[in-house]
Amino acid sequence: MKKYITGRTRLILVLAVLAAMLLTIFAVVRANTGPGESLVQTLLSPFRAAASGLIRQAERYYDYVFKYESLQAENQALQARIIEMEEDVRSADSLQRENERLHQLLGLTEEHEDYKLASAYIVSWDASNWKSAFTIGKGTNSGINTGMVAITEYGQVVGLVTAAGPNWATVTTVLDSALKINASVASTGYNGIVEGALATGSEGLLRMNYLPTDSVLRNNDQVLTTGSTVYPRGLIIGYITDADFDETGVAKYALLSPAADLDDLEQVFVITEYENQ
Amino acid sequence: MFKHFHLTKLQWKGILKWALYSFCLLLVLLVQTVISAKAPWFGIKPSLVPIYLVCVAIREGPEKGGFFALGGTVFWCLSGADYGNLSVGVVTVCAVLSAVACRAVLTQGLISTALCCFVTLLLNETIIFVFKLILTPIAPGNFWRILLPGAVLSMLFCPISYVLVRAVSRTGGNHGL
Repeated sequence: MKKYITGRTRLILVLAVLAAMLLTIFAVVRANTGPGESLVQTLLSPFRAAASGLIRQAERYYDYVFKYESLQAENQALQARIIEMEEDVRSADSLQRENERLHQLLGLTEEHEDYKLASAYIVSWDASNWKSAFTIGKGTNSGINTGMVAITEYGQVVGLVTAAGPNWATVTTVLDSALKINASVASTGYNGIVEGALATGSEGLLRMNYLPTDSVLRNNDQVLTTGSTVYPRGLIIGYITDADFDETGVAKYALLSPAADLDDLEQVFVITEYENQ
Repeated sequence: MFKHFHLTKLQWKGILKWALYSFCLLLVLLVQTVISAKAPWFGIKPSLVPIYLVCVAIREGPEKGGFFALGGTVFWCLSGADYGNLSVGVVTVCAVLSAVACRAVLTQGLISTALCCFVTLLLNETIIFVFKLILTPIAPGNFWRILLPGAVLSMLFCPISYVLVRAVSRTGGNHGL
């Protein structure tokens, strides 16, 4: 076997270990994306955009060919739902007028008019089983930078931009355990910290920690951002599905299903500017 | 100046071969991040890049194949792979040792290649898992629930990768490049 391990082979092994160590040091020391990573991601971005564009076209063609009947049935169901919702809107209008009056009484201002959004398509997903993140096809050239929040068109939190280059940005989703968001239960006002439960045994769910011991939590209660320098106030994070006492026994935690449907996500909107209230 | 820069037909074939290997690496990376990571199989995202790099290393030998594995893993790491810095060391070392083992003890056939790919995958994913276990709140049971099935699932790509690499290697042959 020794004859196959030549001087060059040993050199490659040493270079591999050195490269791994150097990349680890760079990853620990630097706060933002390094030049090498930025270059590779910038070069890859058009290929990823083209590949994901092709996949989207293929999916549409497949849906058109194989899901026509189910789409027709879905269309009928949606039409019936629109009629129901129109009735709801009529009743909501009166509630909204009442709400507006109450707002005026309380001197509250309307929210979310200050958002500036940049829309972007998802071009690739992180292939690790231990991380939930994706890359979008827009970056600093479109005003997207690290620390900005990505949402859906319905104002549901998708995640946070954690790295950005000229034509790409990485969004770490709310499911990732690296993300921590100050949040409150909309109906009761209990505050806590929401973090992703990826790879902790509750995949696909979020965990809201540090809730008061005597808090009363109901299923489907909406959980919203409380507002910080990163997350604007009032964005929907998820809905409570379960609750229990945490490991310490002195605080409660709740499991949430994320409001944004991350499985079928194609496009996100990044809040590039907002007034911090 | 360029009069003396002359490449033979065989050397051109060698260049074509390595260009094709690189293009296939790009394709594998795109399949991994654009298709399989978006729609995980049974909730598990397969890891395809290490399998491809080990296949190339076994086919091309510990020197050229090892150097390609080093370049490939650095590119993979810089493309944003989770804990890619660890994979640079682990996958390259495994690729070189696989190439040596396939020449000295095993063969360059599909079964030997598959064995080396599986060991590489398992080692790479286990080391990343151990780091995650230390640094993040991750359930240890995921080793049996996600990591092992993930490695087995990823191996479905091995025969495809093996055939692809063999086809590319035949286009160029071994002509000093």
